[in-house]
Amino acid sequence: MRRARILTGAALALAVGFCGTGAWTYAQARTDDSLAYGRERDAALADGRAGIAALTTLDASTRQRAEQGIRAWRAAATGPLREELGGTDAKAGTSARGTVTEAAVTALDTRSGTAKLIATVRVEITPAGTGRPATDRKRLEAVLARTGDGEWKVRALNAVPVEAEKEGGDR
Amino acid sequence: MTPTRLPGEDVPVETETVETENGREPAAEVPAGRLRRAGLGVLIAALVLGGGGFLYGAHQLRSSAPAQNRALTDTGATTRVAGDVGSALARIFSYTPEGTAAAERSARTVLDGRAARQYETLFARVRDDLTEQRVTLSTRAVRTGVIELDGDEAHLLVFLDQTSHKGGSKAEVTTAAAQLSVTARLEGDRWRIVDIKAR
Repeated sequence: MRRARILTGAALALAVGFCGTGAWTYAQARTDDSLAYGRERDAALADGRAGIAALTTLDASTRQRAEQGIRAWRAAATGPLREELGGTDAKAGTSARGTVTEAAVTALDTRSGTAKLIATVRVEITPAGTGRPATDRKRLEAVLARTGDGEWKVRALNAVPVEAEKEGGDR
Repeated sequence: MTPTRLPGEDVPVETETVETENGREPAAEVPAGRLRRAGLGVLIAALVLGGGGFLYGAHQLRSSAPAQNRALTDTGATTRVAGDVGSALARIFSYTPEGTAAAERSARTVLDGRAARQYETLFARVRDDLTEQRVTLSTRAVRTGVIELDGDEAHLLVFLDQTSHKGGSKAEVTTAAAQLSVTARLEGDRWRIVDIKAR
């Protein structure tokens, strides 16, 4: 009887210890800074890709669709870019469809909620009427900002220009 | 009032003692003890299960894709692979009419696998033209982004600016942009490019 009680006590203590260790390990992983940073990086990449695709796409086959497209632009953008896009007139014309072929986060500051992203985009441009689509490849750099609800939006989107090498820069 | 009270008090006391002596109390203790033991068993099982669940959850968190990818989370390693790959690309895609050998020599040290074969095929095709037309090409990596960095393998996106001079004069200068997806592998303490895809 006594032995059984001691055994039970030991088993209980072990179980409590095991559960405690598990909880502690889990808490450590949950609050690990680099893990949280990695999650933020992936969130910024995914949202940034979607945002850039939206901002390089506009179906302007009709005026209504162009209006919808501009609304999608505004939804993907924030800050000055959003203001700028809001002033765009919706009219039927050339359509474009952008696909992000590759993208990488180049800088991430989780505290201030800003990130930088580079991306290559394939844009299919279809002129109004019966125009034949043409494909264009672009390389872009985007500045992202995290909004209040944790979503990353595009703050600025620019092409990375090609610059001729400076004199004497040959190696 | 006393007669009615006394028997009333006595009776339960008496019955209890009687029952105890009849061995009903041990009989009542057995289910109680069993219940307690069963409760303890359930508690221990729940604790063990809970602990296991926590450990499993922690393992899931640590082995998930975002956790395994050290791009940007490991600043030092990220800067190193970006620097190695950027300078490697600049070296192998820069040459003078006399100096394609230097580019090819660099290629042998920084390229491996499919990338090395691609490069050799490309150079075998254009080597004579380059010397004949006296082409000078210089390449710079203007942006380098590490998409994935997992142990000894990395995946990068690199933007290149290329300036070429033809015929040795400054008149025929053309600039071009190139975007490459690069897979690199860490061999020893240096990153070697194993695959290149144009984007």
